[in-house]
Amino acid sequence: MEEVVLAIAGSGGDGVITAGDFITKSAARKGLHAFMLKSYGPQIRGGESSARIRVSARPVYSQGDFVDVLAVFSWKDFNRFTDEIELREGAVALYDASDPTPLEAVPIPKEKNVRLIPVPFKQLASEELKVPLAKNMVLLGVLAELLNLPADALKDAVMQKFGKKRPEAAEINIKAIDLGSAWVRENLPEGIPYRLQAEGGEPKLVMTGNDALAFGAIKAGINFYAGYPITPASPILEFLARELPRFGGAVIQTEDELAAVTMAVGASWAGARAMTASSGPGISLKQEGIGLAAMAEIPLVVVNVQRAGPSTGIPSKTEQADLFQAIGGTHGDSPRVVLAPADVEDNFQVAVEAFYLAEKYQLPVYILSDQFVGERSETVDEAVLFAREREIKRKLPAPEELGEDYARYKLTEDGVSPMAIPGMKGGQHYISGLEHNEKGWPTSSGTLHQVMSEKRAKKLPLIAEESGFVRVYGDEDAKFAVLAWGSSKGAVREAVEAARAKGLKVKAIVPQLIYPVPEKALDAALEGVEKALVVELSHNGQFYRFLRAFYDGLPRETYSYARAGGNPLQVQEVLKAIEAHYGEKVEA
Amino acid sequence: MEKVKLTAKDYKTKIPIVWCPGCGDFGVLAAIHQAVADLAIPPEKLGVVSGIGCSSRIAGYINAYGFNSIHGRPLPIATGAKVANPELTMLVAGGDGDGYSIGMGHFVHAIRRNPDLTYIVMDNRIYGLTKGQVSPTTPEGDVTKTTPSGNPERPLNPLALALELGATYIAQGFSGNVKHLKELIKQGIEHKGFSLINVLSPCVTFRGKQEYDYVRQHGVYLDELGDYDPSDWNKAHEATQWRDKLPIGVIYHVHGRKTLGDEIAEVQAKARAKKVYKDVRELIDTFR
Repeated sequence: MEEVVLAIAGSGGDGVITAGDFITKSAARKGLHAFMLKSYGPQIRGGESSARIRVSARPVYSQGDFVDVLAVFSWKDFNRFTDEIELREGAVALYDASDPTPLEAVPIPKEKNVRLIPVPFKQLASEELKVPLAKNMVLLGVLAELLNLPADALKDAVMQKFGKKRPEAAEINIKAIDLGSAWVRENLPEGIPYRLQAEGGEPKLVMTGNDALAFGAIKAGINFYAGYPITPASPILEFLARELPRFGGAVIQTEDELAAVTMAVGASWAGARAMTASSGPGISLKQEGIGLAAMAEIPLVVVNVQRAGPSTGIPSKTEQADLFQAIGGTHGDSPRVVLAPADVEDNFQVAVEAFYLAEKYQLPVYILSDQFVGERSETVDEAVLFAREREIKRKLPAPEELGEDYARYKLTEDGVSPMAIPGMKGGQHYISGLEHNEKGWPTSSGTLHQVMSEKRAKKLPLIAEESGFVRVYGDEDAKFAVLAWGSSKGAVREAVEAARAKGLKVKAIVPQLIYPVPEKALDAALEGVEKALVVELSHNGQFYRFLRAFYDGLPRETYSYARAGGNPLQVQEVLKAIEAHYGEKVEA
Repeated sequence: MEKVKLTAKDYKTKIPIVWCPGCGDFGVLAAIHQAVADLAIPPEKLGVVSGIGCSSRIAGYINAYGFNSIHGRPLPIATGAKVANPELTMLVAGGDGDGYSIGMGHFVHAIRRNPDLTYIVMDNRIYGLTKGQVSPTTPEGDVTKTTPSGNPERPLNPLALALELGATYIAQGFSGNVKHLKELIKQGIEHKGFSLINVLSPCVTFRGKQEYDYVRQHGVYLDELGDYDPSDWNKAHEATQWRDKLPIGVIYHVHGRKTLGDEIAEVQAKARAKKVYKDVRELIDTFR
């Protein structure tokens, strides 16, 4: 097999996620492609968790609809995940031999013809090794042997994690892996059909989307970050708290979201490259600060790692339903930019783009990530990360512009005015959230309000024309296009490939810049398209409705495939939607 | 370095002042102009961040980098600015509604964090800009537009709160005594760390001219007491609990507490002691 999708489920302390991380890391070291999705129950500690890993010789863009091989420590834990882990027909399920569940009560549909194999994970760990906790590493050894995962790379990954600091732990873990592998050779010599046959390439990196985003922010020269803990955005705060001080930057965990966004505004006003991140509930609270940045024209990067809403919603699950909030949140006509990362490596690039646009145009820039693209791990090519360079620069006043007549909000052709930074001699001025004249002085004149509204809005068409923000996959001359944004890209891209394999002519169009709509690039991508399907994880179809309202170039026949989040999109459901709308007319 | 003598005039701006005649905030503005002139703080190195309310307009009336921000948020904005640009002298200004009501969370945490900011609260015991509603410092029983039968709630005591939270410079001034207030502001600016200066700044429009009389009658100048020692926490605590007297002067002042800037520098040094990157690209190794 060129690829395999495996899932491990257990409860807290079983080391399920650790095992998944090791598999992903070993695949990366071998130059294979991997995609790992973690899932947790609502408990803080001790709850059920699962890791779903797709390992492949080819690039993978989604989690894989069906699991080929499942490994569980107890069927009770797996019960929680029957909603999100669907087994392939004829899949293999390994379970701990000591599990008391009678075979007829195993929570897998009979018609799937899944082969159930009891394995003494726990027994081997506690009796042979005398370390019951090592059962996850025994499981790793079993999987490595059965699936032909790169065993040497697996051990390298273990050594890297424990070798230096806890050599005794490294030794036990490696023994446990060997023990698991030996058990397979002895007890399952015939193996299973899911055996990975894949040549690797250059070693790859492994990162989560959140880490990639934080790394990208550092690449972009961030020097101030303020945030408040929230699932699933906290890893950005944690990554920057660890790494940013090494680059001379400051990270503050604030008392609330209001302080987080306004501290970032203050830091940016004083000359820093500043960012704050949160998830939906926190972004609701940040609205006043975002409006201030829009009115006072202060560069600001705001990350929303979306989760299922409204209100507290499902904190640990994904959704794409904060789009309306991003484009329309905060009161007044307040210009902003909305960017969306479509996969893990894209998080890095989008962070760089966000700082580029925020600094160049002096306005708030949203990064609309989500739990799916933020928390999952993927293998990433090092070269891809640094492929796109941007010169990040704020327009400062020339010496002759400073002095008594310096006007912070000078009317210019592009709407961007030179910004004096506190400390610049002769640049003293006054700014506020109040409407103002060119010098920043408050006004309640409707005429001036019109002038300044125009000034602020002028930037948007220019941003819409910035290059490189629309990606197209599939048949360039297709008459049928699927439009998607953000984390939906993966399933959509694979569904388009699957449709093409069935003989359909289709392409996927995925903008990285959502607002302002990159009209010209979209027009070009939609050239000749007669039918379109908008795919997203929002029950109300926010992206579809957004495009209808803000973009004139959609084909007359444009359909929506939209459902609530929680579980990420599957390739099969997108493929079905494509087939349902493709029709004969386009084909002819 | 060239040394230019600066006067209060150098810190005035041309933005028209919106305050009512007789407003206490004029006295605060004058005291700030004189204090920064006395300390010869170059206008370009001076930041003034305010919130929303009558008093918050003050950011426009000082030749500096002024930021009249949003309601209740001047402290986090100024904190971010000070961290980003430590060379700035940062004044934070606002009213009792801005600081002690909608911004109270930030007040508490600013004291805990101890950024090097001088926070001047113009406490007029009323919401003035919105024309006369009860505020968190309005005395119990007072009739306002929103308490037609008298204020049923007790006012809060910001001085006692700041003291309890560990603030290291706490003063109370009176806008009717600019000369005295100026000294409090100067000491506040020179203090390393968070300084609170609560200024009794009467609103003549919604609380009447008698507010001035009230302060004059009940105000007690601590430095005239002879034995008042502002480094004595217990004495300070006592002063914040006076019932019929208003303490005016430096209530509490001690030195030596680390500022937020010190803490951030330490965090950076500790992080670098563990690992230093010569180039951003080296971070890639974290992902191998």
